Amino acid sequence: MKADSNKFPELNKTKFENRGKEFKLGIPVTNAITIGNSIAVGFGDGTVRIFRSGQISEPIKAHSGVVLSISKDGEDILTGGDDGRFLKISLDGEIKEIANFGSRWVDHVTAYNGSLVCTCGNIVYLWMPNKKEPKLLEHESTIGGVAFDSKGRRLAVSRYGGVTLWKKDYSNKWSSSNLIWKGSHNKVIFSTDDRFLVTSMQENQLHFWRLKDKTDSFMSGYGAKVKSFAFVYDSKFLVTSGSNEAICWPFDGNGPEGRKPICLPYVGNKLVTFVEPFPNENAIFTGLSDGSVFLSEIEKSTNTIIIRSFTESEVTTIAVTEDCSSILIGDIGGNILWTSIWDEEEK
Amino acid sequence: MGETNKQVPVTVLTGFLGAGKTTLLNRILTEQHGKKYAVIVNEFGEQGIDNDLVVDADEEVFEMNNGCICCTVRGDLIRILSGLMKRADKLDAIIVETTGLADPAPVAQTFFVDQDVADRTKLDAIVTVADAVHLSTQLSDHHEAEEQVAFADVVLLNKIDLVDESRLDAVKERIKKINPFAKIIHTTKCGVSLSEILNLDAFNLKRILDTEPDFLTSDHDHEHDDDVTSLSFVSDTPLDMEKFQDWFSKLLQTKGQDILRTKGILDFTGENDRYVFQGVHMLMDASPMGKWPEGKERNSRLVFIGRNLESMNLKEGFENCKSA
Repeated sequence: MKADSNKFPELNKTKFENRGKEFKLGIPVTNAITIGNSIAVGFGDGTVRIFRSGQISEPIKAHSGVVLSISKDGEDILTGGDDGRFLKISLDGEIKEIANFGSRWVDHVTAYNGSLVCTCGNIVYLWMPNKKEPKLLEHESTIGGVAFDSKGRRLAVSRYGGVTLWKKDYSNKWSSSNLIWKGSHNKVIFSTDDRFLVTSMQENQLHFWRLKDKTDSFMSGYGAKVKSFAFVYDSKFLVTSGSNEAICWPFDGNGPEGRKPICLPYVGNKLVTFVEPFPNENAIFTGLSDGSVFLSEIEKSTNTIIIRSFTESEVTTIAVTEDCSSILIGDIGGNILWTSIWDEEEK
Repeated sequence: MGETNKQVPVTVLTGFLGAGKTTLLNRILTEQHGKKYAVIVNEFGEQGIDNDLVVDADEEVFEMNNGCICCTVRGDLIRILSGLMKRADKLDAIIVETTGLADPAPVAQTFFVDQDVADRTKLDAIVTVADAVHLSTQLSDHHEAEEQVAFADVVLLNKIDLVDESRLDAVKERIKKINPFAKIIHTTKCGVSLSEILNLDAFNLKRILDTEPDFLTSDHDHEHDDDVTSLSFVSDTPLDMEKFQDWFSKLLQTKGQDILRTKGILDFTGENDRYVFQGVHMLMDASPMGKWPEGKERNSRLVFIGRNLESMNLKEGFENCKSA
């Protein structure tokens, strides 16, 4: 199989690869963010490149090390780097430094309606719109992840021992409460309906809280750390990496407790390393450790199609343009595919 | 801990404040000859470190929820090592400097416990810088100093120009009593060839076979205090694998907190391969390491470094593992 694919590479390409554009940059892709129909991609050499309509921009020299985190504020890109800088970058490549923490890394960045957030060690720095000085929210241990809810009134900060939930009152004062669960919590997200909070842990499992009554439980059984997870389709499912199948937990009703997940298997039995919801559909793109990417309907597992064949480099990012016309796939080996999702006749 | 060429070696520098860690670090960095190193420091600002890739970290020790009571890891290291592995430029090595009062166990355990760290990096060696003038007092006053010596693959006995020969011998004796494996290197101002402290591969099971002479002696006084000591055992009679596993796993489960490090080469009845293992507290890395060399006698050797070893009936336990 392998010898054949080297000899006739075009024979093993999918129709998506054949009609798309491939970029072999050789620089690890670390993350990406969709801004309208552009996709900004962060790299392991500190650069950011903008992809639009299958075209790639000149590299924007944002950080000197790795682009550790990426987000957006309106039409602007936000990045945090291992050079200690928190940056705002316009789509035409203009860089504005918001803060510089020197040899401390800017691990996470996010924003809501002009409020900008970055984390550095155990501190959340929060810039309210049009304020020059940030507000500092301190935590007892290093921050594993940070997320706003859909209305921007609550900010979840995961850390060792649980999550600190910051709440903003109508006079813009922040107060905090704690959601406690032993162990180290990494990435945190709200469900799209704000009813649940989910974290991934240092152990191979996820933890979740139902926010109305603060009941909590865990989702385990993974063979590896769960690094990528997201809610799809009005929070009907939480889709997760960390196994040889895409594990989709039901989050309708009272959540997943006592219920079984739907497990979507893939050819090759490789580790799922990245999951990305198909916007407004009960479907996901799944990236694997061998570089292959599939599109599956969650409740019709027979409806799985291959988007990209293997590159032998693990998939580190998948992003879809806002109009759902195109997808970008990036991997640790620096291979990027930009392709249209729909056939011409399907449009 | 798998073995692939892609794993970046990580050297851990421990030692009490003022022993000369920063001097050693700067020496490594100025003599690096075109190599790219990342340095993770914890006492930033005390003395400048001359490298373009210095990462400032907080020593964050946290417990794993895996039911292993003494299993603590360095959370900051997991985060930083994972981040460094995303870099486009490949690193030749990573050096982690710990604070003077740090227990090296969580650092070592991180490489056993975290799969991402174990896949992409490997613990190369623990190098402890010790001050020849003050080490004896520090060993008596601070258990952390004992742990740093106990975990060391190399002890850099620094500032030897400031002590006379008899004091130097005494301090060397003290180190050897705690840790008979550690290679002791005498220095003034940390003057040491980099090949003696970098790329040692000390945590590779194969390397344990190369350090066989260290297993030979078994002289120990019967101490009943909190001092860290070592005990070693040799058996020419092959061991029963089931009995050994039973004894050893129970021992680590119940006494793992006091057992700091273990190493061994084992000869099991009915097995053609040598079994090599090493452990840090309760965590173990073990593997068959090929056939016994021809013409060489087969025997089992086992070494413990820890506290209260005398209370664990180790000799009796080991004897009971011999095949009938």
